[in-house]
Amino acid sequence: MAYRIAIGSSDGIHVNLKFGEVSKFLIYEVEDGKTRLCETREVQQEENEAECGNKGCGTGGCGGNQSGCSGPSDVLGRVESIADCRCVVCKKVGFQAQKQFEKKAISVFDVECDIEEALEKIIFYYEKIDGHESIRRKRTEA
Amino acid sequence: MAKLLDKQRYKCALGAMQTVQAIHRALPILHSGPGCAQKLSDTIGSSGYFSPNIFPCTSINEKDVVFGGVKKLNSTIENALKVVDADLYVVLTGCIPEIVGDDSGEVVSRFEDADKPVIYAPTAGFKGNNYKGHEQVVDAIIEQYLKKSDKKQKGLVNIWADVPYQDLFWLGNIRELEKLVEELGLIPNTIFGFNRGIDNINKIPQAEFNLLVSPWVGLGNMKKMEKKLGIPYLHYKTLPIGATETSKFLRAVGKFANVPEGKVEAVIKEHEDYYYYLIERYADLFLENRVINKQFTVVADAQYTLGITKFLVNDLGLIPAKQFVVDDTPKNYRDEIKEEFKQLNYGIEAEVSFETDGYKIHEEIKNHDYHGYPLVLGGYYEKEVTENQKGNFLNISWPVQDKVVLDDFYVGYTGGIRLIEDIYTIAVQRFN
Repeated sequence: MAYRIAIGSSDGIHVNLKFGEVSKFLIYEVEDGKTRLCETREVQQEENEAECGNKGCGTGGCGGNQSGCSGPSDVLGRVESIADCRCVVCKKVGFQAQKQFEKKAISVFDVECDIEEALEKIIFYYEKIDGHESIRRKRTEA
Repeated sequence: MAKLLDKQRYKCALGAMQTVQAIHRALPILHSGPGCAQKLSDTIGSSGYFSPNIFPCTSINEKDVVFGGVKKLNSTIENALKVVDADLYVVLTGCIPEIVGDDSGEVVSRFEDADKPVIYAPTAGFKGNNYKGHEQVVDAIIEQYLKKSDKKQKGLVNIWADVPYQDLFWLGNIRELEKLVEELGLIPNTIFGFNRGIDNINKIPQAEFNLLVSPWVGLGNMKKMEKKLGIPYLHYKTLPIGATETSKFLRAVGKFANVPEGKVEAVIKEHEDYYYYLIERYADLFLENRVINKQFTVVADAQYTLGITKFLVNDLGLIPAKQFVVDDTPKNYRDEIKEEFKQLNYGIEAEVSFETDGYKIHEEIKNHDYHGYPLVLGGYYEKEVTENQKGNFLNISWPVQDKVVLDDFYVGYTGGIRLIEDIYTIAVQRFN
């Protein structure tokens, strides 16, 4: 079955952006073992996101420190924009975003490596678990 | 088809974290998923300076399955060394990192030059149970930490017994074994329990011999030490409980260590005199109660099933029904252990079954004719089935739910008396 992977990268080679820094996600589609870059998806800067840092913004978050997070509302829009993907790969993904992805059963991989390497490992993993096969690898291959 | 195991009596190999915990000031570092330590810890007797709730753990997740968890392991060891003050750090790996192929041994080898020793034991659950895990930890100490010593201390003997925490009486038992060996004029050395730790580990290579008191657990370790450290070993299969076995045990150790026979016999006589003084005074109680419990069954790991069977037959004159060994004893040891069940006094032989499935054991207990009320010594799982048979039940092996043991023991002359007290306390409660 086809699925999509969202990657945060500024140069198309390395996974080098934090989740919050991404303005355009690279969306890869994997189908029948083939991988292709199917779109670059722009992320809408949200109003409350721009406002973030102002005291009292957002709801349900900890407004205690001035620059602090204001709960899940900060990230909801971003998370929603790639809600059709099976996983997201960024250099760092904050706690609030991780929780929101978890809610949608989207896996989060916060790693720093080449896109190629990340795709290879993730696709291997999904292939095995989708086929109900062991992910056991010999040490030399790892 | 997948088999269902009902009421298993052991944990996965990562349960060896309890073996590490039993070494004073030794700290397990877990390379495993979050929650492993929580599930493997026992609810009593494992709090303290290092407890399962604070064991450093890599808490690996999906990301580490896909991308490998070695980075996290490296930083976890690095930080454990910084923030937790211990004498020995033992990295234990769970199933996940071994399945995905993390080279934990390589990561640990980066800490060779650390101020404190860091060693590594592969304890993935699919490799075996916590009896195996226990052996892996001792193996790791031998292979990665100990060095051969040219200097030998005269009379020094390392004592090894069964698995800490898995054995309810581990602490009391090993202290009592020390005491008995000491009475023969030898110097005991053990690594588990209060005030035993890295200094005792350091003394291991200087010992004249290793004494293993267990039907099979640890035999591999003894062979390894013989080969690497040049320490011969005495394998004493039966956990000595009560006078008959303890006297045999002392004679065997005395002979192996060249202790003069006169000295051994003097020690034995002193103990036996007191032991039989007690037995004699309560003989009326035992005789009356034989009417109640004609036959008994033990459901425990190899050491207790064998030790208690010998004790109840040889010292108390009870008749064995079928006995069950539930620790998944490796097949190559089974025949030898079976033979031991035939070496009972009065030409009595006990039938023994190596069975891990609680359902099957309970069916056999239900269907056996005990010629009266059965006496069952086992894990908490056997309580209900024994009560349904109107029998007497004593919880002596894992899992333990209705008993608190701090440092009580069943080993030796005194241990035999303790076991008699426990059994007959339950027997007399029936009438009162």
